[in-house]
Amino acid sequence: MAGIKLSAVKKIYPGAAEPAVKGVDLDIQDGEFVVLVGPSGCGKSTLLRMIAGLETVSDGEIAIGDKVVNQMEPAERDIAMVFQNYALYPHMSVRQNMSYGLKNRKMPKGEIARRIDEAAAVLEITPYLDRKPRALSGGQRQRVAMGRAIVRDPAAFLFDEPLSNLDAKLRLHMRGEIKQLHQRLKTTSVYVTHDQLEAMTLADRLVVLNHGRIEQVGRPLDLYRRPASTFVAGFLGAPAMNLIDAEVTGGALMLAGAALARGLQAEAGRVTAGIRPEALRLRAAPGGNFRLDYVEELGGSRIVHGHIGAQRIIAQTDLAQELSAEMQAELPLEELHLFHATEGHRLSMGLNQPATADPQLVGA
Amino acid sequence: MVENRPFLTFLAHVVLILGVAFVALPVWIAFVASTHDQSTFLSGSMPMWPGDNIWETYGTILGTGAPVPGAPPLTLMLKNSLVMALIITVGKIAISILSAFAIVYFRFPGRVLIFCLIFVTLMLPVEVRIMPTFKVVADLGMLNSYAGLSIPLIASATATFLFRQFFLTIPEELVEAARIDGAGPMKFFRDMVLPLSQTNIAALFVILFIYGWNQYLWPMLITTDEKFYTVVMGIKRMSDVADSDPQWNFVMGSAMLAMLPPVLVVIFMQRLFVKGLVEQEK
Repeated sequence: MAGIKLSAVKKIYPGAAEPAVKGVDLDIQDGEFVVLVGPSGCGKSTLLRMIAGLETVSDGEIAIGDKVVNQMEPAERDIAMVFQNYALYPHMSVRQNMSYGLKNRKMPKGEIARRIDEAAAVLEITPYLDRKPRALSGGQRQRVAMGRAIVRDPAAFLFDEPLSNLDAKLRLHMRGEIKQLHQRLKTTSVYVTHDQLEAMTLADRLVVLNHGRIEQVGRPLDLYRRPASTFVAGFLGAPAMNLIDAEVTGGALMLAGAALARGLQAEAGRVTAGIRPEALRLRAAPGGNFRLDYVEELGGSRIVHGHIGAQRIIAQTDLAQELSAEMQAELPLEELHLFHATEGHRLSMGLNQPATADPQLVGA
Repeated sequence: MVENRPFLTFLAHVVLILGVAFVALPVWIAFVASTHDQSTFLSGSMPMWPGDNIWETYGTILGTGAPVPGAPPLTLMLKNSLVMALIITVGKIAISILSAFAIVYFRFPGRVLIFCLIFVTLMLPVEVRIMPTFKVVADLGMLNSYAGLSIPLIASATATFLFRQFFLTIPEELVEAARIDGAGPMKFFRDMVLPLSQTNIAALFVILFIYGWNQYLWPMLITTDEKFYTVVMGIKRMSDVADSDPQWNFVMGSAMLAMLPPVLVVIFMQRLFVKGLVEQEK
């Protein structure tokens, strides 16, 4: 077990117009579960592959524990990786798949057998140990891939979108298992995904990447409540945060000629206002500013699509909410996010917004 | 397609039976000819059923060799053919799988150039370069030897190309997983590439064995010593007598026996080959 430290890590592919990773600093604590998330092409996989040693580091330094590993072969780095398409050796049985890396390290046979039995019991794959991967379902293959990582007892697990090949239901299930596995093994983990829900639920700390740069690092709820830029704001949360063009005049947020919120201490001018769909309060009122377009039923709640002025806005409401063609939209001031209209970074509103409270287990 | 049209079924069978007859009849006639004595075959009316000369014919060609052209015994020639075909097959597979491995998995200077050169040789079969090759083999003193029979035929662009195409389909992640598991290049070759290529190797073995077995022009050029005659040459020699009628029963008998090993290889390897195909993932 060890932490991972990235210092000004860069990746420049030969012939590429701009670097794939543009200087990333990140300090991953021992035992921490860090999720790298971002849209495709943001450099998250490249970063992970550099940690694994599958890509060379163009500039900067990667240290696992207290060893700088830039020049080390992947096998020497004491890491284990779980791949998106599992990458199980098709001609080997599950047992052989799991033991291959250990055999290459010249581990004694008895120790290998013990580790495999242990990992198989944890992952509930004991009945399949002598099957070939093709005789397993997707979820079972995923477990075997994790088993192959676990038996190595590495300093860190690296996950490269391990759940994207599974169907939605299985993905949810495996997500829970990965979380439990981490709570049990407490091994440092770096997890790459483009699925913000996966990222939110799994991460101890979330790293949002965009265009090869870190946009924001922090606990998932902090990022959700105080996104540092429009990019993070739009990326986290489903349905996504409304990002609308608005204007601040005289301490009021003006949208289509009407004030949506008052009492801001922000500089006057054009801004991008960020509003979580669940934060918007709607009230049936003829002549209100919110025009209803259509409604999506989710069962437990509903998503209301409409517009204010010319801008489309969605709101998530509970089922008790009365709906009508014209409604008044209101927003508690503390739920408003303001961003720079062109640069996209977060603007201060002069409010002391409450720091995020950790979810506390009763009696914990 | 589940259809029940008796006439179509009937027609399909007629076509298939005609096709089989077309291919099998000459083989049958060759077999029948090998079981009669020489005069029956030359009398003009071909019998369609086997005669009673079968033991004598096969005994002679296998034991002492056909008397008239003075061909060596067939056992020797079969052995020569087998040795040549096996060396060619094994050599071709070994060399091409290694060169394909190098071309696909290693980045070395001139890689593309080398691949292009290999690819270009696809267009140059043995027959085109036969004179220079003969000269080289003669200068190296390899005339009348197994080495001379097989080595010049070993280099194979086709097999290299096939293996390359197959290696390109092995997912990149598998290579990376093996790297993380601590497999160096040769370990990766032995533990991953070889087992995964099993079906390709089996298929190539069938094709290349038959290619080697059927070599005709090259053995004829470089062997003058009867000890190194291959069976295909032997047949040619038996049927090519100057002063008397060819002994067709012996010629046909030899042809029957010459057919046997490739048929066995196809039957035996085909099973392995199909088994491999069925076991392949996806």
